[in-house]
Amino acid sequence: MRLYLSLLLIGSCLYLQAQTSEYQSLLLKADLAENAHSIVRLEERIVNINALDEMTIEEKRVITVKNKHGNEQVMAYAGYDNSTKIKHIQAIIYDAYGKEIEKVKEKDFMDVSAVPGGTLYSDNRVKYLRYTPTQYPYTIEFTYELATKNTAFIPTWTFFHLFHQSIEKSHFKINYASPELKPILKELNLEGIEVERTENPGSIAFTATGIKAIKEEPFTPPTLEWMPMVQVRMESFQYEDYLGQMRDWKEVGAWMYNTILQGRDQLSDATLTQVRTLTKGKNDPVEKAKIIYDFVQRNTRYISVQVGIGGIQPISASEVDRLKYGDCKGLSNYTMALLAAVGVPAYYTHVEAGPEKIDFMEDFADLKQGNHVILAIPDESGYHWIDCTSQVHPFGFLGDFTDDRTVLVMKPEGGELTRTPVYRNEDNYQNTEADYTLDSQGNIIGNVEITTRGIQYDNHFTLENEAYDEQQKYYKKYWSYINNLSVTDIVMSNDKETIVFKEKVTLKAENYANQSGQLLFLNPNAFNRNTNVPDRVRNRKLPFQISRGYLDEDVFSIQLPPGFEIEAMPEFESIRNEFGEYEAQIEYDKTKHQLQYRRKLLVKEGSYEPAKYNTYREFRKKVARNDSAHLVLKKI
Amino acid sequence: MRPRQQFFLTLAMLCAAFGYAQDIKFGKITSEELEEKIYPNDSTAPAAVLYRDLDVRYHYNEATGFQVITAVHERIKIYDQEGFDYATIAQRLYQGKSKEESLSKLKGYTYNLVNGEVEKTKLKGSDTFSRDVNKYYKEETFTMPQVKEGSVIEYQYNVISPYSYSLDDIVLQYDIPIREQHIKIAIPEYYSFKTKMKGYLGINPSYGKESGKINFTTTTTTRGGMNPGGSTMRNNSVDYFINTTTFSMKEVPALEEEPFVNDMDNYRSVISYELQQVRFPGSAMEDFSTSWEKVVKTIYDSDNFGRQMKIDRYYKDVLPGLIADASSEKEKMAAVFKHVQEHMTWNSYNGYFTDKGVKEAYEEKSGNIADINLMLISMLRSAGIEANPVLVSTRDNGIPLFPTVDGFNYVIAAAEVDGARILLDAANSYTKPNLIRTPALNWDGKLVKEDGTILSVSLFPTRPSADIYNINVEMDAGGDISGKMRIVHTEYRAYGFRNSNNSLSEEEYLEDFENEQEGLEVVEYDVKNSKAVGKPVMENLEFIMENQANVAGDKIYFAPLFYHALTTNPFKREERNYPIDFNYPWQEKYMLNISIPEGFEISSYPESVKYALPNDTGSFIYRVGKISDNHLQVVADIKINRVVIPSMEYAVIKKFFKNIIEKEAEQVVLTKITSDEHTGSAAGGR
Repeated sequence: MRLYLSLLLIGSCLYLQAQTSEYQSLLLKADLAENAHSIVRLEERIVNINALDEMTIEEKRVITVKNKHGNEQVMAYAGYDNSTKIKHIQAIIYDAYGKEIEKVKEKDFMDVSAVPGGTLYSDNRVKYLRYTPTQYPYTIEFTYELATKNTAFIPTWTFFHLFHQSIEKSHFKINYASPELKPILKELNLEGIEVERTENPGSIAFTATGIKAIKEEPFTPPTLEWMPMVQVRMESFQYEDYLGQMRDWKEVGAWMYNTILQGRDQLSDATLTQVRTLTKGKNDPVEKAKIIYDFVQRNTRYISVQVGIGGIQPISASEVDRLKYGDCKGLSNYTMALLAAVGVPAYYTHVEAGPEKIDFMEDFADLKQGNHVILAIPDESGYHWIDCTSQVHPFGFLGDFTDDRTVLVMKPEGGELTRTPVYRNEDNYQNTEADYTLDSQGNIIGNVEITTRGIQYDNHFTLENEAYDEQQKYYKKYWSYINNLSVTDIVMSNDKETIVFKEKVTLKAENYANQSGQLLFLNPNAFNRNTNVPDRVRNRKLPFQISRGYLDEDVFSIQLPPGFEIEAMPEFESIRNEFGEYEAQIEYDKTKHQLQYRRKLLVKEGSYEPAKYNTYREFRKKVARNDSAHLVLKKI
Repeated sequence: MRPRQQFFLTLAMLCAAFGYAQDIKFGKITSEELEEKIYPNDSTAPAAVLYRDLDVRYHYNEATGFQVITAVHERIKIYDQEGFDYATIAQRLYQGKSKEESLSKLKGYTYNLVNGEVEKTKLKGSDTFSRDVNKYYKEETFTMPQVKEGSVIEYQYNVISPYSYSLDDIVLQYDIPIREQHIKIAIPEYYSFKTKMKGYLGINPSYGKESGKINFTTTTTTRGGMNPGGSTMRNNSVDYFINTTTFSMKEVPALEEEPFVNDMDNYRSVISYELQQVRFPGSAMEDFSTSWEKVVKTIYDSDNFGRQMKIDRYYKDVLPGLIADASSEKEKMAAVFKHVQEHMTWNSYNGYFTDKGVKEAYEEKSGNIADINLMLISMLRSAGIEANPVLVSTRDNGIPLFPTVDGFNYVIAAAEVDGARILLDAANSYTKPNLIRTPALNWDGKLVKEDGTILSVSLFPTRPSADIYNINVEMDAGGDISGKMRIVHTEYRAYGFRNSNNSLSEEEYLEDFENEQEGLEVVEYDVKNSKAVGKPVMENLEFIMENQANVAGDKIYFAPLFYHALTTNPFKREERNYPIDFNYPWQEKYMLNISIPEGFEISSYPESVKYALPNDTGSFIYRVGKISDNHLQVVADIKINRVVIPSMEYAVIKKFFKNIIEKEAEQVVLTKITSDEHTGSAAGGR
């Protein structure tokens, strides 16, 4: 009995003591807990710039995880490679009362190779924590320290990491050993948060508190456009064995051109002869460039190998020539060398690639921006663009991977910011024309022709390279609302000169129109229904963006079965508003016993305030409703 | 030990020795191979293996003993750009504490036809890369140079393994077709392996015998070490037999993805080798596994299995309190199960051997499958309930047909209560008696007792898992509907609901729910029993939904299940090669009461039907009836009673779903009530 009592006492002491711990998670601030799967209680990064070739980063993150979705928000990992070492890494796990339950030392972290898809080899590795929580909430304190000799890339500090995560306190500090080492900072989107900046000789610091969790919402603009953050760069830097300066884009480009790309354009005589023979008798540089691009597309493939300086330096043209593979850097550099060999200038260009359009910042020159390389081929009218990692894209056509964004072109005289081509609204065009016959059982048979341009071309033209069986599967998905679809013939033509793609499909479908007693229910829009309505959001907080507009036009003529008359026709609504236009019409030709259905849908690109989202949804709902309208036929 | 194999030996010997191997030599590429544009038997293949030779043999090394050498030779045709992936080869190598596997003698060429001439490009040593994947494996990777559409690549290399007691699985089927392959496994008489074959390919192994010789030196040191040359060396040799197995196959089709399959890899043809015994001359026989009895004994004897069910001190103080109020065996079992389920968190590792050991796992409140379920068995036994482990192979681990230790990767508990056997799996917060985690729903498990008794236990659930909808709908003259809905989820449907939604806030759940239900807006919502695992989950909601009917002139048309009607067939393919696996028997039932808008009458509605699948596989009932002038009652009830349906019945299943879709699309017609009932055409074309 006594023993029991004393045990109980010790227990409650621990309990009391623990309760005072700063990491308890029983009493969380309500406004920070709202919409949050996890709460960053404290995060702190101290960057010490000790010399041009010596930088350390100390980081501490204390995160309270509320539920299982919060587990993946902990992100307790640190990457390293041959020039960045992890000096220390540790995690401590606390229970809800703030009592320590586990300490994870460096040797207990998982250590794996960090090789992204498409990469054959990379020396990047990552150490990460694998932890099975046994209760919620719990708190993890994760600390690590990195040391590197490179000062060319100083990671951006952001006051937002993930949706559904709030931040109680965030602290970012840069210490620099001497005035020449003082970095340049750029603050972005800090308006909406509470943040304090302190500057002292030798250091600059930011502290923000009480950043609420944000719910993820559809059609949100790229996070880089609204995320509060501090960008950091050095005017003079060390990168592996190279010293460099980047006061402006001109200098970044010049450094790339003169240091990183220099001397990597050698080619064997055999290859020089080969490409000169290919372009023999051609004088127009664009014509020659097309021949070279075609040669590269037919003869190489994308394989990435990242070792050491390989992060920004291409493997040499002669290596790519021997292996016939390379990554974006290697293939672009190789193509540039081939073009030079036939007297066509071309410029190596850094771009931030991806479906989101992200610009290089005009007033903030650094090496971090950009994740891909393309080529700019100049002529009087401007630049022709090519992506050497694609084996299929037409010359001069970038598609949605690198379109409409500011990029950095490396020229002998230095870097130049310019914009890649835009494909706006009507440029992204699709025309669908069809003739089909309906029989008394509701079966249809007919043919469809789809013509696409612009980004819609980009979405369709790769179909040409698929096997017939895959094409069949594609149409079953494309027209997934047509049950029992069978495609009997497919003919495609791809005009790479004018960049127009045509698909001619012959098909039939059993029971397309539903038969109920004496009636047949037919949706005349058999081949281009747009019934997707954007997800409902109850209280939208973020602005929304339609990143690319498009225009669809459709004409379908429908032969009706003999012995049936029209019982009811659908009534369509024309819509015209700031988001776009919709129109549908149907006409009955009594002599031919035929219907003519016409439809047009224009969706415009644009950015809108949050409140407009519901109006946009209403627009799309109306489109969906019109696209699912039926007409009724009755047996005579 | 293997009488059947021995009989075939002499017959098979000749072909094993001389058969095919001479036909295709490394580097002898034909122009037909280079000119080929598509694979004739599968025009969709992006690449094909034209020839594959795999030779597994033992080699005696005086310093290290037997090594296993696997010689790989593959010739691959690349038809199009999608096939370029097959020009990158990755070989995993095991890295043990003291010994490691290695790769040697890599040689490779790419062949292209350039202006009618064969151009040959060599793979260089510097084009290969090695990386550590994790603690146990490293990976050697290489990609062939000069690969274009139409290229033929060819490479060979050896994998040298010091682990003579284990042989890697041999994969006989790839994701691309194989035109011809020859596989030979040669094992010295000292080793006896059990082979296990899996997959849907017809395989005809042939067996043979060869002879081998071990040369070794013995050193005898002369006594009295004054003389530096005082040792004598003698060369000795031992002759032994080598048992060979060869597989020669032509036109192996690519393994293709199909929906409703438990895991495609289960259908890939693979041969696995499991060591049974080793006996070297002059040494005692080491026995590994030969029968289910032995397998069980091996497992039971392990410290990580049998002993783990005997340790009981760590819960001694807790157990009496848990079962104090239990008045029956069943209640006792439930109390113990609940405790383990609530106390423990699964660390996402499978296994029938404990990871940390039950005691440490209990203290840390987390562990692997065996930590959790062996702990449960031990506690049940201490509570006086007969409980035994059931070894399971999860769905992605294949089906163990032969006695094997490696075939299993999971363990659950079977409790005997009131004459009934109840399966228990405490590794998820929402399992319950007789409802185990879904990955474990894989044919039969083996119930094993300490006395060596083994029983097969079906893991497939017998009770159907259902979603049942009760809906009251009011329609207005504009075709909008509103109403109340009750949804009841039972068994695995409730389990799935709890696992995916219990951690979401109501707002998050409703947004997902609405977005899945195409335009439904929830006005009021509540859910019952979402945490009460023994009971069905019950959702109650009030909803509105616009435009659920076509209003045209004086008529209104609608499909009476509204958005609940099945509209796309899950089975789109013309044919199917593998069984359909539904996981568990299920039912989806909708009961609707629809009141039609004022001023309209019901002109027609779909006829009621009943479709039944043969062998009581499943059924569909569809009933529409008029219960008053302005009320319709609708019942749609789909039941699937069998879990696994063989591919022979695919066409019938596909047709069944096609019929359901057609039936559920049929329309109800409402007509406006007018004094002089005229039905002139409302067609108003423009």
